[in-house]
Amino acid sequence: MFRRDTTAESHFRIEVRTWLEANLPLALRGRTARPPPAELMPWYQALSRKGWIAPHWPKHYGGMGATLNEQIIITEELARIGAPQLPAQGLNHIGPILMKFGTEAQKAQHLPPIIAGTVIWAQGYSEPGAGSDLASLSTRATLEGDHFIVRGQKIWTTWGHHSDWMFALVRTDPQAQPRQAGISFLLVDLRSPGIRIRPIKTIAGDDEFSEVFFDDVIVPTENLVGKLNDGWCIANALLGHERLASSNPQFPLMALERIKTMARASGVIADPAFQDRLAAASINVTALSALFSHAVELTNNNQSPGPESSVIKIFASELLQTLNELLVQAAGGHASTQNPITTNFGVVDVAAPFLQSRRVTIYGGSSEIQRNVLARRVLNLPS
Amino acid sequence: MDLHLTSEQTLLRDSAVKFIQAAGPKVARAFREQDPSFAPERLRWAGEVGWLGMLVPTSADGLGLGLTELALLLEQAGRGLVCEPIGFAAISAAALAQGGTPHPVLERVMTGRALVVPALEESGYGDDPLSPRTQMVGEAGALRLTGQKTFVCADGADGFLVSASGPDEPALYYVARNARGCSLTTTQTVEGRKLATLGLAQAPADLIPPHPSSRNAVEALYNLALMALSCELLGVMERAQEITLDYLRIRKQFGKLIGSFQALQHQAVNIYVCVEAIRSLVFQIAAHNEVFDIDPAMAIALKAKASEDALFVTEACIQLHGAIGFTDEHDIGLYLKRAMLLSSLFGNAAAQRRRYVALANITA
Ligand SMILES: Cc1cc2nc3c(=O)[nH]c(=O)nc-3n(C[C@H](O)[C@H](O)[C@H](O)COP(=O)(O)OP(=O)(O)OC[C@H]3O[C@@H](n4cnc5c(N)ncnc54)[C@H](O)[C@@H]3O)c2cc1C
Repeated sequence: MFRRDTTAESHFRIEVRTWLEANLPLALRGRTARPPPAELMPWYQALSRKGWIAPHWPKHYGGMGATLNEQIIITEELARIGAPQLPAQGLNHIGPILMKFGTEAQKAQHLPPIIAGTVIWAQGYSEPGAGSDLASLSTRATLEGDHFIVRGQKIWTTWGHHSDWMFALVRTDPQAQPRQAGISFLLVDLRSPGIRIRPIKTIAGDDEFSEVFFDDVIVPTENLVGKLNDGWCIANALLGHERLASSNPQFPLMALERIKTMARASGVIADPAFQDRLAAASINVTALSALFSHAVELTNNNQSPGPESSVIKIFASELLQTLNELLVQAAGGHASTQNPITTNFGVVDVAAPFLQSRRVTIYGGSSEIQRNVLARRVLNLPS
Repeated sequence: MDLHLTSEQTLLRDSAVKFIQAAGPKVARAFREQDPSFAPERLRWAGEVGWLGMLVPTSADGLGLGLTELALLLEQAGRGLVCEPIGFAAISAAALAQGGTPHPVLERVMTGRALVVPALEESGYGDDPLSPRTQMVGEAGALRLTGQKTFVCADGADGFLVSASGPDEPALYYVARNARGCSLTTTQTVEGRKLATLGLAQAPADLIPPHPSSRNAVEALYNLALMALSCELLGVMERAQEITLDYLRIRKQFGKLIGSFQALQHQAVNIYVCVEAIRSLVFQIAAHNEVFDIDPAMAIALKAKASEDALFVTEACIQLHGAIGFTDEHDIGLYLKRAMLLSSLFGNAAAQRRRYVALANITA
């Protein structure tokens, strides 16, 4: 936004835009919920064949090794065309973790299918009794010779029922103090015997997540990432990058366009009180872009975004909610309509994105937990 | 988040940090309601080290630096509650130098021996800077301005950069304080300095032509002023935050440090989020815009958000102090008052958002 493309960058932007226009199926544009795999994965694979699925991955792992500006341009163009949200657990979570902590065999086995879009990953951290207090997790993995026996339950697993593999935090030492020191990081084939997966319907009406039960599931020891009982550090090592990747301005930008369309259709766009709120929200989207591009610059200069990246998580998630609250106001009497609303200015989905947006301050560390972390770790306030 | 600075930029910041060690709340307090409300010798010192000419091209004996350097300097000025109008002097020097031949007063402005400040506002609420009611009549060599400018930081000023409408596009003019037909009426602000209404009755003026890269000299200076004010607001917020965090780490109630209370920790983080967002905005805009060609939507967005957030932050800082924060004796109130002044100049948050609606194509 405040950035101006160089000539080379504007050529790249046009290339991306033209290709997206020609290749992103109409049915996948402007979707608020993540489409099911049968619809979504062919698009994932098309991006992969084009070489654009992993802009932030190094080239030798099949990524683009893109510059900061190229990454931002792709983000902006995906937002512009209303591209659907892709499953990101592979690209943004386990991929980078394996690059840093995985064995050569683990990398060779798992990274190529993530790039190709032939394997879908799930994140198995949360449990019924371990949410914000993740270190209290109790799914047990017992080492027996060349394998672990896993027993317990994970919950809120995004796309669990569509996934092939799960990276999970499991308790390998129940006596360890602090509790964090008894946790390991395991890769689990979800087709293994003893696994049962049940989808869970969300307030938005979709089944975005699920619960996963482990009943004496055998997991070979070569699926351990890093050392035994080192899982907590591994899971946290790349948190900064994950928060950053999930806070890119793409979705706020899309929300802004949706509000404008709805507000034009309902006429509220002419109301100065509404305009003021819309201007404030729009200015905050600019601020998010600044925070985001500042953080990506630091990351590219190998200064890790660190705990400060919680700022962006808080800012991006709360802004997305503000935007969707504004969308509901713009829709007036239409707000609670279940299906997308057809207007003279286009079709606008209101209730679904509003409901969807309630999750973003809960997952990936709730807003309250981010504030706790910042207060202690960055602002050095006493406990 | 840290900034990625060159070694020259780091040096500049370090010398600005040294400069403000001799400033700060105590000095700001001493200058309240004084005339002028700053130390002229410190303004001259800022001129001698080159800061006032930092945006002036080297061909006109300036340092030829850009917005990032301006931001680094003014962030410190905000932190130190610096009273000398370094920001206005530096952007006015840039404006005086922007045309082919610099205005004759430039040399004295760059060395801090004369102070020139912008006088662009008229109503004080969401002016369109490109539709001034002040009128220019006359022809080359004998230009006269008639009208009124408001909220001018005229303390110690020797001249003004005034916007006026004329036969063509609105343009920028230099008017000397002692010019015929030029009058000042001052009001005291809570912050300590005075704001003036500048009356112009056929006052003689010199045209300041625009920089080759900008569409209009008035617009360019206006956007530069929004940037300068926002950089100072950033510094004000930062320092208010630090003072407050220090207090949260030492004040005890209920047998505990109040900084351990979660409600206060979360409010402290709300403050921190504001500061970080403004810092990223300031330095991203600075990195991606030229001095005389700042994207107006960006300048407006920045000033809107910095104005609103600086008030939120300094108000919250007073709350986190309790009654001590409500006293004149405690410094935290000085930051609220500086934020009040800077937020209100050149259009407050609501006024900027109204302009943003028109400019950023929100309703189209
Ligand atoms: C859509 C969605 C997708 C998800 N996907 C996954 C996934 O793929 N894999 C996975 O492992 N998990 C996933 N999660 C789970 C997510 O990580 C947890 O929901 C989150 O960690 C919060 O835990 P909880 O839901 O148990 O809430 P709780 O921890 O019970 O929190 C309840 C409330 O209390 C607050 N709270 C808790 N502790 C504190 C404290 N110390 N101070 C102040 N406030 C506090 C919380 O902020 C929250 O408001 C997903 C969640 C959602 C909503």
